[in-house]
Amino acid sequence: MSNIVARISGLTVGFGDKRAVDGVDLQIRAGEIVALVGESGSGKTVLGSCLLGIPPAHAQIGGTIDIDGVDMLHGPEKARHHVRRHRLGAVFQDPLTSLDPTMKAGAQVCERGASDERGVAVMAECGVPEPEARFHYWPHQLSGGLRQRVSIAGAIATDPEEAPALIVADEPTTALDVSVQATVVALFARLREQHGCSVLLITHDLGVAAQIADRIVVMSAGRIREQGPARKVLRSPEHPYTRQLLASRLDIAGPFGAAETSFATANPVLRLRNITKDFPVPHHRRESRRVLHGVSLDLAEGESVALVGESGSGKSTLLRIAAGLEPATGGTIGSEADARPQLIFQDARASLTPWMPVGAQIAERLALAGVARSDRPGRVAELLEQVGLDPAVARSRPRQMSGGQCQRAAIARALASSPRVLLCDEPVSALDATLATQVVELLDNLRRTTGVALLLVTHDLAVAKRIAGRIAVMTEGRIVEEGEVRRVFEAPEHAYTKSLLAASPSLAAVS
Amino acid sequence: MTGFARQFGIRLASMAGVLPVLTFVVEEIQRQLPSDPARVLAGRTASPQALAAARERLGLDEPLITHYVGYLGRLLSGDLGTSVSTRRPVADDIATYLPATLELVLVAALLALVGGLLLGVVGARDGLTGGLVRVVSVAGASAASFLLAIVLLLVFYRDLGWFPAGGRGDTADGPTGMTLLDSLLHGDPGGFLDAVRHVVLPAVVLALGPAVAIGRVLRASLREVMAADFVRSARAKGAGWWLTVWRHGLRNAAGPALSMAGLQVSIMFGGSVVVESLFSWPGLGRYLSTAIAASDLAAITGVVLVLGVAYVLLNFLVDTLQLLIDPRLRESE
Repeated sequence: MSNIVARISGLTVGFGDKRAVDGVDLQIRAGEIVALVGESGSGKTVLGSCLLGIPPAHAQIGGTIDIDGVDMLHGPEKARHHVRRHRLGAVFQDPLTSLDPTMKAGAQVCERGASDERGVAVMAECGVPEPEARFHYWPHQLSGGLRQRVSIAGAIATDPEEAPALIVADEPTTALDVSVQATVVALFARLREQHGCSVLLITHDLGVAAQIADRIVVMSAGRIREQGPARKVLRSPEHPYTRQLLASRLDIAGPFGAAETSFATANPVLRLRNITKDFPVPHHRRESRRVLHGVSLDLAEGESVALVGESGSGKSTLLRIAAGLEPATGGTIGSEADARPQLIFQDARASLTPWMPVGAQIAERLALAGVARSDRPGRVAELLEQVGLDPAVARSRPRQMSGGQCQRAAIARALASSPRVLLCDEPVSALDATLATQVVELLDNLRRTTGVALLLVTHDLAVAKRIAGRIAVMTEGRIVEEGEVRRVFEAPEHAYTKSLLAASPSLAAVS
Repeated sequence: MTGFARQFGIRLASMAGVLPVLTFVVEEIQRQLPSDPARVLAGRTASPQALAAARERLGLDEPLITHYVGYLGRLLSGDLGTSVSTRRPVADDIATYLPATLELVLVAALLALVGGLLLGVVGARDGLTGGLVRVVSVAGASAASFLLAIVLLLVFYRDLGWFPAGGRGDTADGPTGMTLLDSLLHGDPGGFLDAVRHVVLPAVVLALGPAVAIGRVLRASLREVMAADFVRSARAKGAGWWLTVWRHGLRNAAGPALSMAGLQVSIMFGGSVVVESLFSWPGLGRYLSTAIAASDLAAITGVVLVLGVAYVLLNFLVDTLQLLIDPRLRESE
């Protein structure tokens, strides 16, 4: 029994009469990588915080969590600090906010009393290039991927032990590009191999779990629905919820979506020719940095094109130029006079006005489009039905709605001016798998039924595969490969496309 | 540190740019005021010739630039004109009264900063003490300073007799003119204690509002910072609440509180007018109110100039502290 690192028994966490965690038993063995999978609101993050002994404030907590004989929930404060300091490591989702901006990278790595030499060594181990120099960098001088590595270095630099017994990693790869994601996942695997650390990997993505986990624990509504060896849970799931999660996941090994139904029309609604864009360099008034190097792209009526690339590739800038939100430095943008391109953003809740009922926000656009006042309520109801929402939602404000509902409402608002082009910037990357699939299907449906053209920016090839007829792969401000979705997936030509495909997490990897 | 040196230089240069503008504006206001300084100088019943002579002596008939350059020249040689009410050079008057105000404001600023820090940090904590501090803050913020002064005088002077009703006590003839410092420099503990007894009540009255304001801003930003991911990371590394506040919270939360502190301390210089009158504190505030009553223009502009310079210096100090606290400011525009 001594090889059990953490033992959770009968854990319940309640907020008022709502239960976030409802009677969970879980044991983590030494050297084991356990993936805790669930959608937002399933209680997985609350469970992770409890494991670290820092449960959310104002929660009623029952049950016990035993690490090294210390009760992490009700034990003496001092003993819990001691366990956290010497036995645990924690990595959180957003590398932009998980480092203190006013403290140098090295100081944060060595916060638990490790020497500078050990700090540099751990940073090197976590794949930070030139660790001696980076040790003295401020967080804002590091890229997102490097910050996450520094975070992980801080999580494992315990003192005097060699490494923590257990690392709790809450969505450690969600905010990262796929290729960076793959290296971070590989880093966890290496830490386990070299130091025998256990890892509790909290994630919403079964694909990430499939890449690394020995055991998968599926959670929903505060309860464990299913757990078992990774292969078994992925290959022959028993609980209906697991099956639903697996079925709804957009996977690059999944079926093609729109290719067959692509409108074979040569009538372009949007024509981008040799677009260049320069941004000024801070502090150097006369210098500028080129982020788009002569990009050309056509979008035909009723077509859907996915613009795929990593952060910093210039794909969102191109979308903003196409929408007319940003002037291009050079090149021409041709669009039909009645194209009325509309934008749909990643964070739907932030793109809706918080104090206005959704119906009023849609009606506002209708007024601009010249719809008579008396016709507006009927049209609002129609639009909401078109995106699969109950017309009664018109009276709700964004905070009363779920993330999926918000994105649907945002789409309805975009449709109000009867656009012929929808420009979507990562429309589903903030949504849970099931909701993401639904929204992707909604967009595809709208394209089929109304003939609206879609230009969709995404870092996720699986989304592109499901919705796009054509794919353009962008890196460093250039389109390096463009073609029919089937051709790009089956016979990628450019090395960058191949590396993107190889790095994408997939359930197909589990055989 | 190159980023720091660069941003520091920019702020230094902008301060150097503001000072000529400040002096120009003060000088122009002085010229444009309907109250005629020549008439004040020459007297109400002066003949036109005497008036013209006074006008010439004050340089009021010169063109704008010549007049300003002359004014600036006199300013740089320490000549602020002559007060018509005290019949002494304004520079000498200010040298007499400024140390008293400076002493009062410095002590009050120290109290406000310490008080604000305590109110902010304790108030940021969840639970009973935090709530209690918040209630006290609101009560403190709504107390008018003259009312507070009267209550403090009634309790601590009339009833308890712990502190004197006003004045500064015996001023030691020292290098700084600030009794607290001078008595220390002279090795005079009795004098120091007396100076402390005199400064406590006015400094507390002057510091209360600013302390509450600083505390509120600090509490709000500290609560925000303590909910941030990097604080969660630090706590996961085994740091307790107080250590986390000390190591990660305060430095990240200090920015807004520091801006508020700068603003409040500069307001204190102006607010000292009321407090100095209430406690018969022989400082610039009292000098200014007598000067205003006597239309003593040279004295008024002299004091305004000193307050303006203090304001500019204070802002420069706050900007520099912000640079030291937040490394990101050293790089952004």
